[in-house]
Amino acid sequence: MTEILRLTGVCKAFGGIVVADDINLSIDAGEILGLIGPNGAGKTSLFNLISGVVRPDAGRIMLQGAPIDGMPLYRRARHGIARTWQNMLLFTSMSVMENLLIAPRDYPGESALLLAFGRTAIWRAEAEMRARGMAILARMDLAQAADTMVTDLPFGHQKLVGLARTLMNDGALLLLDEPMAGVEGAAYETMQRIVREEAASGRAVCVVEHNVSFIKDLCTRAVFMAQGRILQTGSVHELLASEALTELYFGV
Amino acid sequence: MTDPIVLLQILWTGAVTASSYVLLTVAFSLTQKVTGLWNFAQAGTMGVAFYAMYFLLNDMGQPLFIALPAAAILAGASGIATEVWGLDVLRARSSGNLTFFIFTLILAELIIYILTLLFGTEPQTLFPSILSPVHIIGGIAIGDWDLWAVGISVSALVALQLFLRVSNDGQFLIAVADNARLAELYGISARRAYCVTAAIAGVLITLAMYLFGARSGITPNSPMELILTAVIGTLLGGMGRVFMGGLASLILALIQSYSVLVIGSRWQNLLIYGFLFIAIVVFPRGIHLPRRRVRLPVAQPG
Amino acid sequence: MSVAVMIAIFIILASSYNLVIGYGGLATVAHPIFFALGAYTAGLLAIHTGLSAPLCIAAGAIVAIAASILLAASALRVSGDYLLIASLGFQLGLLQMIRNFEWTGGPGGLTDIPSTITGAARTPAYLAICGAVAAATVALIAWIVRGPYGRAITAMRDEELAFTALGRNAMNLKIVLFAIGCGIAGIAGGLYAFYYQYLSPEQFDVLQSATILTMVVLGGMGTTWGPVVGAALLLAIPQAITFLDLPPAIMAPAQGIIFTGLVLVFLFLRPSGLIGTSGRGAMPAALGVHDHSGEGT
Repeated sequence: MTEILRLTGVCKAFGGIVVADDINLSIDAGEILGLIGPNGAGKTSLFNLISGVVRPDAGRIMLQGAPIDGMPLYRRARHGIARTWQNMLLFTSMSVMENLLIAPRDYPGESALLLAFGRTAIWRAEAEMRARGMAILARMDLAQAADTMVTDLPFGHQKLVGLARTLMNDGALLLLDEPMAGVEGAAYETMQRIVREEAASGRAVCVVEHNVSFIKDLCTRAVFMAQGRILQTGSVHELLASEALTELYFGV
Repeated sequence: MTDPIVLLQILWTGAVTASSYVLLTVAFSLTQKVTGLWNFAQAGTMGVAFYAMYFLLNDMGQPLFIALPAAAILAGASGIATEVWGLDVLRARSSGNLTFFIFTLILAELIIYILTLLFGTEPQTLFPSILSPVHIIGGIAIGDWDLWAVGISVSALVALQLFLRVSNDGQFLIAVADNARLAELYGISARRAYCVTAAIAGVLITLAMYLFGARSGITPNSPMELILTAVIGTLLGGMGRVFMGGLASLILALIQSYSVLVIGSRWQNLLIYGFLFIAIVVFPRGIHLPRRRVRLPVAQPG
Repeated sequence: MSVAVMIAIFIILASSYNLVIGYGGLATVAHPIFFALGAYTAGLLAIHTGLSAPLCIAAGAIVAIAASILLAASALRVSGDYLLIASLGFQLGLLQMIRNFEWTGGPGGLTDIPSTITGAARTPAYLAICGAVAAATVALIAWIVRGPYGRAITAMRDEELAFTALGRNAMNLKIVLFAIGCGIAGIAGGLYAFYYQYLSPEQFDVLQSATILTMVVLGGMGTTWGPVVGAALLLAIPQAITFLDLPPAIMAPAQGIIFTGLVLVFLFLRPSGLIGTSGRGAMPAALGVHDHSGEGT
């Protein structure tokens, strides 16, 4: 299986707080890696390091064999890293479709020069992107909500839109930060299905979750983090069977 | 080379003038540190402090030991009022930096307009004339008043330092400056910290305006220029480093004084702004890297 | 009717400032300095060279654009908040330099800018020109903020972190918007120089910043017509008040008090301005905070 992401010796500290302590990790295409652990373990920080919100103090991050730890945030997205956020961070002034139209990796309509001189190119790209967006929404049974303001959607659907946004970036790595938090019922099922589909089509997926059944159903492998360190990796079953870990997790 | 006596004289005279700038910078920098805001409304406080003293001393014939504390109380009260009725409301609304900036700048402008209406645009000094005994020590002229000025400033700064280190409220200020949300979790009232800061700033500003106004003519527009030197000092000292800001202002004022030897006096102002340029482009985080403000995560982390 | 010319010029200034702070969400205060750069460049070129007026104005705009890119690129490297202080310092620093150099006329000002249009039809002619430029400015800005580009601008203002994480270069976008806004201010400066034929540093200081800011806030940030309404009101109302025949020593501060008071009232009660969507709750995105820099551990 092709390796998509590799972290070697990644360290990061803020002030006196160590959020990443010698992290070594790899994710292959088609894998769904679960990142579990108690609050404050450093899971979202790890996402921040991978996606580029912060730079590591030490260590390397390789995406499909190329080092990205020096790359700024926006470049990493262009190289194929897409992530969701704990707070969703949807664009609240806009509709669902407009949220999706911002999301593709290369979009000509946002270059000032093209704006002035390449109107037809922009119209064509816009139509293409719109079609792609509709296809993604259709997969989520949300096609009818395309022109609704995101703030008018129920919470579960908003989370789906957040996921849809990342799918518009058809890159190799998908980072999902607590996608299931607060989601239940049909939206929950849809999300599970979509994540499986994405992994099956060759993406590497990493999920931070507290929802244990989600992890059990979906993840092929899991990593247990606490206090910035990876304590154990292995199959979900192994991790959950370990007494020491469950005590750490639930004993907090 | 010039006479070392002249150099020392300039040092002394420069330090005396600098003392007001230092106090203003410390007030501004402390506020920036604790509240995170570039509080331009302090220009308004400067005007209020000066004209309150002016009014009490000249129109009401009050002695200094009444006028100065009264002005300090008024200045502190106006700062607290701005906090409670203005800044707090904006904070509750999750307002952005632009809003705070608009509010503080426009508020300062409003106060300045009101003062212009009441007192006119002619420069005023607090006292008709200042004549104080001058001693010659080692060839340097040191006036009684000069000693007072430096003494007041140094005492104020020492008092502030003690306050921040020793008193509970002072510790709370530091905690809130570091991380307001975390401090609140520990039962420290951010609002109280902001009000205490406003009160301290009011006192420092009043002292500074006294030192200025006793010697130089002040117009309602002076505070706008003064606050800019406070901004520069805060920037050069580094955000969050209050006393470094004061030191930066002191050094700037001394450089300005010494520059008389080298360049014409009309270029002195330019020098200040030249430093601002340098500060912005080369040292945006201050001459040394300041302590980073660690913010709490918005949601509980996973 | 020279007031109408002023209104036209300030519509250009307010609209371009609105592009920067209302649409771009960039907190800056230095708009008048780009106005000044355009004015002084055009004026100096007119005095010392034989270049035609439109060329001088164009040169002014180019100088303004270059300066704005210099400022934005340096300041935004630090943070978006830093631009505020940096722009203030930039404005005051440049003004101080203008005050101190002789070739800019020093504190006394730059005079004797050659006339371009003379005679009785001067003011109406200028009104037509400035009015046309003002209309073009409003139209240009409305066009820029439509479509995919406008969508990107809105997204950046809504959630800059998510915007960047989707692969967009927010810094570039900000610099481009800033450059466009300041370039337009430079054009206004050129027009101003030729009409009034006298420039002095006082015309471009913090007071001017507050004036343009007031126009935009009162009219409505992030709207097309807000700056137009703001500019017209702020210039027309004092004219109306002059009929009251108050002594100038009272009038100037009184006007100042009225307008700063209005801004404060609007800021608290109706932040969206006169044109924006109504209600106490409605706040233009540019005035709100979306800081997630500390998200997660």
